[in-house]
Amino acid sequence: MILYDYILSPSCYKVRLMAALIGAPLELRPVDFHPGKEHLGEDLLALNPAGSIPILVDGDLILSESAAMLAYLAGQYAPDWLGEETATSRAMVQQWLAFAHRLTAALGGARLVEMLHGQGDLEALQTAGIAALRELEAALFKRRLDGGTWLVGESITIADVACFPYVALAPDGSISLDPYPSIRLWMRALRGQAGFVEMPGIHRRHELAPDPLTPAEGA
Amino acid sequence: MRLNASSPWIPLALSGDIPNGTVIPATLCSKPIAIWRSQSGQVNANGNRCPHRGMRLSHGFVRGETLSCIYHGWRFGQDGACQHIPAHPDVVPPASINCGPLQVAEQDGVIWVAEDQVESQPPRLDGLKPLRSLVFCAEPEAILTASGGTEVDLGVEATLAGTRICLLLQGQAPAETLCLVLVDQATSPKACAEISRALEGIRRRAEGETEKRGAA
Amino acid sequence: MIDAWYPVGLISGLTREGRETLLMEQPITVRAGKTGKPEVVTADGRSLPIVERFGHVWTSLGTPEKDLFTIPEADHPERVLVDVGVVRVKCSPLRAVENFLDIAHFPFVHTDILGAEPHTEVEKYDVKIREEEDEVWATKVKFFQPQAAKSAEEGITTEYMYRVPSPTSSVLYKTCPPRPGEWDVICLFVQPLTETLCDVWPWMALFDEDTSMTDLIHFQQLIFLQDRSILENQIPARLPLDPGMETPTRADLTSIAYRRWLKQHGYTYGAELVAQ
Ligand code: FES
Ligand SMILES: [Fe+2]
Repeated sequence: MILYDYILSPSCYKVRLMAALIGAPLELRPVDFHPGKEHLGEDLLALNPAGSIPILVDGDLILSESAAMLAYLAGQYAPDWLGEETATSRAMVQQWLAFAHRLTAALGGARLVEMLHGQGDLEALQTAGIAALRELEAALFKRRLDGGTWLVGESITIADVACFPYVALAPDGSISLDPYPSIRLWMRALRGQAGFVEMPGIHRRHELAPDPLTPAEGA
Repeated sequence: MRLNASSPWIPLALSGDIPNGTVIPATLCSKPIAIWRSQSGQVNANGNRCPHRGMRLSHGFVRGETLSCIYHGWRFGQDGACQHIPAHPDVVPPASINCGPLQVAEQDGVIWVAEDQVESQPPRLDGLKPLRSLVFCAEPEAILTASGGTEVDLGVEATLAGTRICLLLQGQAPAETLCLVLVDQATSPKACAEISRALEGIRRRAEGETEKRGAA
Repeated sequence: MIDAWYPVGLISGLTREGRETLLMEQPITVRAGKTGKPEVVTADGRSLPIVERFGHVWTSLGTPEKDLFTIPEADHPERVLVDVGVVRVKCSPLRAVENFLDIAHFPFVHTDILGAEPHTEVEKYDVKIREEEDEVWATKVKFFQPQAAKSAEEGITTEYMYRVPSPTSSVLYKTCPPRPGEWDVICLFVQPLTETLCDVWPWMALFDEDTSMTDLIHFQQLIFLQDRSILENQIPARLPLDPGMETPTRADLTSIAYRRWLKQHGYTYGAELVAQ
C-alpha cells in the first residue's frame, strides 16, 4: 500500500496516524507539495485528477479521500475501528467523517492562510472553525456525561482519527483551543494511544516516556 | 454590580476538566496562568511564562509532582521553584528561579485561584455540583440578560430545564467571559444533557446581543 | 536595521505579476522584471536595491553599507542546494533567529530526530563576536542526535558551528555524516514583516547524493514546523533585551551574545527594550 504523502498535510497525517495506531504497513511516497506543487504535475494528476493529496494506492485501488482511506485501512486490518455494527453507530461514524470535511475547510483553510501564504477570507474561515469546534466540544461533553471518551461508542474509531488532526492544529490558523476542556481531554486520550505518532504542531506526550530522573524499576 | 463583586478567590476551572497529570491554560485578571494537577492529584497554579525563555507553561507536561516546560524541559515543583534544568543535569538551580506560584484551592468541584496570599476559604456552593465550563464571546451582563436569571456573588442564578443552575462568570478579555456552570446536586444525567444544550442557546442569545451592541 | 539586507522571496518563485508582501511594515512587490531579473518596488514606486544569492532575492529599505554576507562553503559544486520554501510565523524575527541558535530544545521539540532524553546535557562551547567580520559565532557545539540528518541512520554526537552574519539571518554548519571533514550548511533567512510577524525562508547546501530533493525539503520543513508552535507561544512576543526578563544559563551563551550584539548595533526591530 503506497501513500502519496506530505509531511505537513493534516489529511496525509490522518492516514499515517491511522496506520500507526492499528499497525498497518504503509509505504510512503513523499510529494513536494510546497514549494514544488508536485501534486499539480502530470504524474500525480494522472493518478488523482482532483490534484489533491493524500492518494492511497493498493494494487488497482486508488483512493483520494482520506475518510475512505481510513475506512479501507480499518476494514483491512482493524475492523473494530469502524464502530459497532448497529445502524446508529454506523450513522454516527458517517456523521463525524462528514463533519471532518467542515474541519478541513474551515480550520485547514485558516491554517493555509496563516502558515503557507494560502488565499482565503481568514476571518470567515476562523468563524466557521470556531463554530465547528463548539459543536465538537458540546458533543464530547455529552459523551463525558455518559462516561464515554470517544466520539462514537465505547472505543476509538475512524471518526476520532478523522477529526483529530485539523482540531489539534487549529492554533496553526490562529484559532485557540483554550476554551474547550472536553476537546482537550479527548485529544489527550488519543495522544496516549499505543502507536500514536506526532506531526509538526502536535507534540507527543513526553510524560509517557520513562522519566530520566527516576531510576528505572528493578535497576 | 455583584457580577463584578471583588473576591480574592477567582473560580477558573472545574476539577473534572483537569485530571491527574494534566495542565491547562487559564486567565487570572487578564493575566495568563497555568493550572496543573500532579500525578498524586495535587492542584497547582502559576504564571504561564517560563522564566527561562518565556514559553507558555500550559504547553508543557506533568511528570510526577512536577511541571515541565515543553521548550527546554525545565522542571518546576509545586512551590513554583525550578528543580531541574536538563541542559545542566548536575547543576542545582538557584532558588531564585521560579514560575510565579499562585494560591489555589479546590472546593466543591471548582478550582479557585488567588493572586495574593489569602487567609479565607473560597465561598461554598451549597447544594450544587459542577457541570461544564464554556467561554462566551459576551460580557457578563449580556449573559445575565440572556439567562433570565438573577445576580448572585460572582455570577448568575437561573432556572434551566426546570433545574436550579448557577453560572460563575469571569471576564477574561473584553467581550470574553469564562462561565463555569453548576447545577443542583440532584440533577439527573439526562437533565444535565438537556441543560448543556440549553446553555448553547443562552450563549447564542448573549453573543447575538453583544454583537448587536458592538455594531450600534 | 533598516540598512540591512533581508530575504523577500525565492528566485525560482518569481513571476511577472509579482507577489505583494511586507518588509518591516512597508508594502513591497517582488517580481521578475522584463529581462527576468528580480525587481522589488515599494508602494510609492521606489525601486529597492537587490542582491540575488542563496536562491533568494534580497533587498533593503535603506542604504546597505556592506554587501550581503557570503557563505564560501556553499559554493562547492557538488553541494545540493535546497530551497525549502516559506513558512509564516507569528513571532518576532529575532525570536525566530534565537531559536535557531539553540540546541537545548532538541530533545523536547525535535524528539528522536535532533535530540532525545536522557541526552539533554549541553557541554561547554565557544562563543564570540568576531569584530572584523562583525558576526556572532558559536563553535565546538556538540550534541547527541538520534537522527542527525536525513542521511544519518543512527545516533551520533554531532558538532555544529553557528553564525549570525546579519540581524535576521543565521547559518548553521554541521558535521556531514557521508563526508567526514566537511560541513553541511543550513540557513535560516528571516523576512521581518512586522515586529511580531515574519516569513521564514530556510535554505540548505548539503553533500547528499542519496536522498531525494523532496525528502530533504520535507526533513527541514518538519524540523522548522516543530519550532513554529514554540515560537508562537513565547511571552512576550518580542525578544526581551532587558537582562532581567529571562533567565539564560551556560547553554544559552549564543543567545546571550546574539542579544548583546543586537543591542550594541541598535538592532531592535522585534525587540523589547524595557520590561513591561
Ligand atoms: S523556555 Fe521553558 S525551559 Fe526554556
Ligand atoms: Fe528547533
